[in-house]
Amino acid sequence: MTTNDPTKTPTTASPQFASTSHSRSTARPILTVSARNAPNRIPPADFASLLEATNADASPCHGSLDTEVVVDLSGVTYTYEGEADPVLRNVSLRVNRSEFVLVLGPSGCGKSTLLHLLNGSVPHILNGTLEGTAVICGKVVAETKVADFATDVGMVFQDPDAQIINTRVRDEVCFGLENLCRRVDEILACQKEALDCVGLPDFGDRSIFELSGGQKQRVSIAAVLAARPRLLVLDEPTANLDPAGMAEVFAVLARLNREYGTTIVMVEHRVDELADKVSRVVLMDQGAIVFDGSPRAAFSARRVVHSEEADIVPAASWFPQVAELAMDLAAASRRELLPDQVPLCIADAVDLCAAWSAPKEAVAVTTPPVERLKKPLLAIKSLSFGYDRNTPILKKVDLALESNAIVALLGRNGSGKTTLARLLVGINAAPAGAIDLGGKDLSKLGAREIAAYVGYVFQNPDHQFVTDQVDEEIAYGLKVRNYSVDEIARRVDEVLAIVDLKRYRHRSPFSLSLGERRRLSVATMLVLEPHLLVLDEPTIGQDYERAQQLMGLMARLRERYGTTILMITHDVRLVAQWADRAVVLRSGEIAFDGAPIELFGDADLLQSAGLLAPPIHEVSRLLAVRNPERGIRPVLSSRELVNALVATGRKTSQ
Amino acid sequence: MSRSNVFQFRSGRSVFHRLDPLSKLAWLIGVSLLAFGAYIAWIQIIISAIVVATALLLARLSPLEIIRGTWLLMIACASFFVIQSTMLPGTTIAFRVLSKPIYVESIDYALASALRIYTIILSSMIFVRTTDPRDLAISLVTQMRLPYRIAYAFFIALRIVPTIEEEIQIIRAAQAVRGVARQRTIAGRIGEMKRYAMPLLVGSLRRAAMMVMSMEGRAFGAYPQRTFVDAPRMGAPGIVVFAVTLASVVAWYTALALGYVHAIYVFAPA
Repeated sequence: MTTNDPTKTPTTASPQFASTSHSRSTARPILTVSARNAPNRIPPADFASLLEATNADASPCHGSLDTEVVVDLSGVTYTYEGEADPVLRNVSLRVNRSEFVLVLGPSGCGKSTLLHLLNGSVPHILNGTLEGTAVICGKVVAETKVADFATDVGMVFQDPDAQIINTRVRDEVCFGLENLCRRVDEILACQKEALDCVGLPDFGDRSIFELSGGQKQRVSIAAVLAARPRLLVLDEPTANLDPAGMAEVFAVLARLNREYGTTIVMVEHRVDELADKVSRVVLMDQGAIVFDGSPRAAFSARRVVHSEEADIVPAASWFPQVAELAMDLAAASRRELLPDQVPLCIADAVDLCAAWSAPKEAVAVTTPPVERLKKPLLAIKSLSFGYDRNTPILKKVDLALESNAIVALLGRNGSGKTTLARLLVGINAAPAGAIDLGGKDLSKLGAREIAAYVGYVFQNPDHQFVTDQVDEEIAYGLKVRNYSVDEIARRVDEVLAIVDLKRYRHRSPFSLSLGERRRLSVATMLVLEPHLLVLDEPTIGQDYERAQQLMGLMARLRERYGTTILMITHDVRLVAQWADRAVVLRSGEIAFDGAPIELFGDADLLQSAGLLAPPIHEVSRLLAVRNPERGIRPVLSSRELVNALVATGRKTSQ
Repeated sequence: MSRSNVFQFRSGRSVFHRLDPLSKLAWLIGVSLLAFGAYIAWIQIIISAIVVATALLLARLSPLEIIRGTWLLMIACASFFVIQSTMLPGTTIAFRVLSKPIYVESIDYALASALRIYTIILSSMIFVRTTDPRDLAISLVTQMRLPYRIAYAFFIALRIVPTIEEEIQIIRAAQAVRGVARQRTIAGRIGEMKRYAMPLLVGSLRRAAMMVMSMEGRAFGAYPQRTFVDAPRMGAPGIVVFAVTLASVVAWYTALALGYVHAIYVFAPA
């Protein structure tokens, strides 16, 4: 990828090029310049030579260019306007051309601010005080406007819907180059190249609204690639995507880095599929860089960092599962895990497990399965539903839920998960007789009757807040149901203690951190003691540690009240760890209903539903195939696999 | 929550989809002017019929879509028609309802008024459904010489409306789960808006900040002018639509001014 010097474009009165066409589908770009602007026009660069220069620079052979410094931060401290404490503290970072840097850390540690600094959004759009020196692609950030970084830095955000401006793919990809006053033929060539790069060559005429989440995010990447930036900066680009969409995006990034030498700096929590693609890991804590090195070195030792609420949390929460497995295996076999031995992908982990046999004195720890009392809770019979008659979203769904369970609802984006969940809580009107809730027809129950039985925690906690104070927020549901003052006070105190928000009871809900707001939204449901609690994407916008805390809270709920948790999620690690049942929706139909271990063993089903098995399951499955004599069975947790290796190691040595 | 808004652009291949935005804008303004000037029922019926035919044949909207988009308005227009028919004075009694006379002149004027509102709203719906806001913005820049920053502000505003609408629906659903009932009274609706305001404001500010960063990060506003790939242009069909609309408006108002309309208006005052 190359950049075109923006000074080539006129700075006083730029020419306006307009291609014309009679219809959108038969676009025939013709370079036209309005007569009004013609006198100011600067002769355009020769396009053929421009493309040649681009291709030469974008070739996989980088040579000495690899040592070119793209990012050079020295002692950077940044404080947002109106804030007392800096969000970045004395950050120094140098990134060379062709590096693929993964930035990790808990929410609120300054990762996003660091990324925004790389294209000047910090300090020029997100205002504040910048100390130290930040030079990106040879330009001093403090003295360079954001627009002047357009050909140097491409920025991709978490939510493709928030960053896509246009309604058609081609318009979106051309947008940046149009702003840079490039020639129409050049723009169209770059547009084509960018769409080819992200694997969407025939999507130019498609409407943005027709695309899946993964495709939209690839369009976002193409939209910044079209300007051929030297540096690609991505802030959790797969957070809203299903596993299939995530795999699409990661594959594109790996190809850009490998084949075109694009420098990438990226914040991402889904490290399992990314660890073997990055060349460097930066770990941040409380605004400072606490580790900077190779992925193997990063994932070879457990560290602790601080959450947004200043609690100490293990940094291993952001480690790939195979690295966790290696650390557990090293501990069980009492060996030292050298950075070179840390696996970054499933194949590495299989090799490591095959090479390391646990010592015979190691003790396998097994946890007996817990028997729980279960009662029928909800029954769905042959439920079909659509927002209009022509497009059914759910087709003849049959599902029964019992108390005391954690059930994962999985499937591609658009498979009908959220629609089904919203039917359960009465947001969508259920057909008569289709849903039996505690012995009553749900379609005949009022909103408050349903809400007393079923709670729903939305993806964005802010949507659910209706008062100005934390304790009033929790009390609200009880007040509208006419509970006595004493009972309200008792329940609010109890729930505040459970979600650990007692100290903030008089604060505004909107002043809390994201993790606290999430806990508060759970508390507002919890206080009504619902039999069924629906969690909509508990991991979106949350780091892994936060999701773990939330699920820990859910597990406590189940223990205490026998509540059933129905979580809509794409996070297969979360499913493997917490769910005792998985339901997969595929094109509105139930494609699977059973134990997670059975789901992850069905490769065809996983593929058709756009899911991936958790890495530990894949490692254990491959070990079982490779060494059938060891009798290892597919498992879902690192501890189970280490136990199996210990047990089989002992058997082998006897 | 994927119900699409009927007053929202949807791509298609109809004649109106292929027309350039300014021709369609001229048609919309022309139809509105004709509707405003036509106080005679049979002329208003003809205008409404033309607009409905345009919706069905030239814009390829289905009857169901038209009903879905305008059913509330239909009820309002019908109510308006009934009220005006019974309230307005006249001289020729058409029939009596509970001994109250209903005049032919009242019915004629009420029908024209009700259809006028319906015609204008339906023609607006045709325009919105068949015009990509981006194309309209670009046309305003390339054909009307509007500064592109202003045109894009207009485009972004149109683009973001359905998103905000969707967010309001989500907030409403999220709060309904909390036990917040829909309010019927005006005071209740104001209180409801207050509850929606904070989450909506927080979400909109976050979205706006993201959009600004996405646009500025791609050099929006860096230069006084910009290139437009695939800018819409007024072609032959557009010129025909424009000419016919202009001729109709001019002819109608000329006829009005010269008194020809009164000459053929059966209920014209003596």
